[in-house]
Amino acid sequence: MTSALALAAAESSLHASVAAELQDLAERLRRVTVRIHTNGHRYDAVGAGVLWPTDSGRFVVTNAHVVPPRRGDDAFVEAAPGRTIAAHVAARDVDRDLALLSLPDLPDEWPAPATIGDASAVRVGELIVALGHPFGVGGALSVGVVHAVPNGDATLLAADIRLAPGNSGGPLATLDGAVVGINCMIARGLGIAIPAHVVARFVGEAMAGL
Amino acid sequence: MASSSSPGTRAASGSLRALSDDLAAAVERAGRSVVAIHARPRIPASGIYWRDGILVAASHTIRKEQDIAITLPDGTRAQAQLAGRDGGTDIAVLRLDSNPSSKALVPASRASGDALRVGSVVLAVGRPGDEGVTTSLGVISAVGGRWRTWSGGEIDQFVRLDLSVYDGFSGGPLVDAEGNVLGLNCSALARGTPLTIPTATVERVVDALLTRGHVARAYLGVAMQPVRLTRALAERLKLSETAGGVLVVMVESDSPADRAGLLVGDVIISAAGNDVAEPQDVAELLGAERVGAALDLRVVRGGELKNLSVTVGERAPASDVRRRGARS
Repeated sequence: MTSALALAAAESSLHASVAAELQDLAERLRRVTVRIHTNGHRYDAVGAGVLWPTDSGRFVVTNAHVVPPRRGDDAFVEAAPGRTIAAHVAARDVDRDLALLSLPDLPDEWPAPATIGDASAVRVGELIVALGHPFGVGGALSVGVVHAVPNGDATLLAADIRLAPGNSGGPLATLDGAVVGINCMIARGLGIAIPAHVVARFVGEAMAGL
Repeated sequence: MASSSSPGTRAASGSLRALSDDLAAAVERAGRSVVAIHARPRIPASGIYWRDGILVAASHTIRKEQDIAITLPDGTRAQAQLAGRDGGTDIAVLRLDSNPSSKALVPASRASGDALRVGSVVLAVGRPGDEGVTTSLGVISAVGGRWRTWSGGEIDQFVRLDLSVYDGFSGGPLVDAEGNVLGLNCSALARGTPLTIPTATVERVVDALLTRGHVARAYLGVAMQPVRLTRALAERLKLSETAGGVLVVMVESDSPADRAGLLVGDVIISAAGNDVAEPQDVAELLGAERVGAALDLRVVRGGELKNLSVTVGERAPASDVRRRGARS
């Protein structure tokens, strides 16, 4: 790390290299983060979703509270600005606040899914980022630190990070760009995310039931 | 920076990762000196292992005095007794029943005195329960001089934070990016705004509480409010036209002020040779070192000037931040 720092200092100022690294990270996370629109008037909020890696086809994971209530309901997924395709609600679990969207008519050119990380391996105090659409602002990056690491399946990942409505369903990721959680709520100022291993189990169960 | 533009899932490298590793290491290091204190209902609060056998905490989080349960950094439990508290600075000192092993708990490593700089990256570290250490990241947003809390405590430096403090953080340390302690975080001294009590103040209060059981606080026994003298009166007494003072509106019976003959209605225009315009001007002269010393007051009484000398007393220790007196 010392050599990396020395190199960065030699090449340019430290803050310039930090800014470039954050820019790069935001760019990579934007490729795996979608924006979710729904046409039901009650659920027409803008939420985020993550392109989740699966064996069969391409799926999007988001929060249950972002999508319409019934299985089979329609939602629309916007991957890059202007590239919107139809999606079906394949599974929805209100208790875990997770939903799985299937994308039946995938275009030929479609971004690769996210890399998933281990939520229980993050360290308290390490830098962590969130990507989403806070208050409808598309593709916004937030930076914070890990506040509390999930312990088993029952607890959530807490981050000292500024989130807003519109971050729901979006990724919480390490500096490597690995998604370690799905942001789901703000509790007393803390950003709360569902750990990636809980999401993976939900996706596995949902796929088995399809 | 050429490699950072390549797509894919390579590991992050460079300054950002180095900073992140430093921050996580700082929390881990500081966390070895941070305990959870179970002395109030619901959410436990944090405390710092200050020196051998001694914990410091925020006084407002300590609602019991005996047999207080402590969660150590290694997850084991210990027991402590309240050794003293100072409502003025909201600092409480607890003594552990038995010295923990150096594996379970290590005394906090402190940053040097000049480490408080506006803009420094800092972490608030807390242990609000048995689930481990927690943190938040921010910067020091303001550093000022010596100040006095609304409950009368003297704090060596004013340190304001741009940082979120969460439930149970009071009593935990503010640390620098290396994990060295800069002070004790407290949310009860400024209407919920997070502030840090610098280590020098904590050290002074801990010493006072362990040797005397309380922090000496000078007092007169008066309540005051600012007044402006009329121009005619100022002219007659040969004072400046804009002369002001503080009106004595209450004198506590048998207080130092009472014994010196101060009366309700007196207007104090100077104290120890300094002009007085606000009650604060008198309060600032009442440091702990003044106890027992004479304080010369110049007052206007019945339109005439009068000199009085008050022997400054020591206020009975306030047992809690809640039971403070706003009087000087």
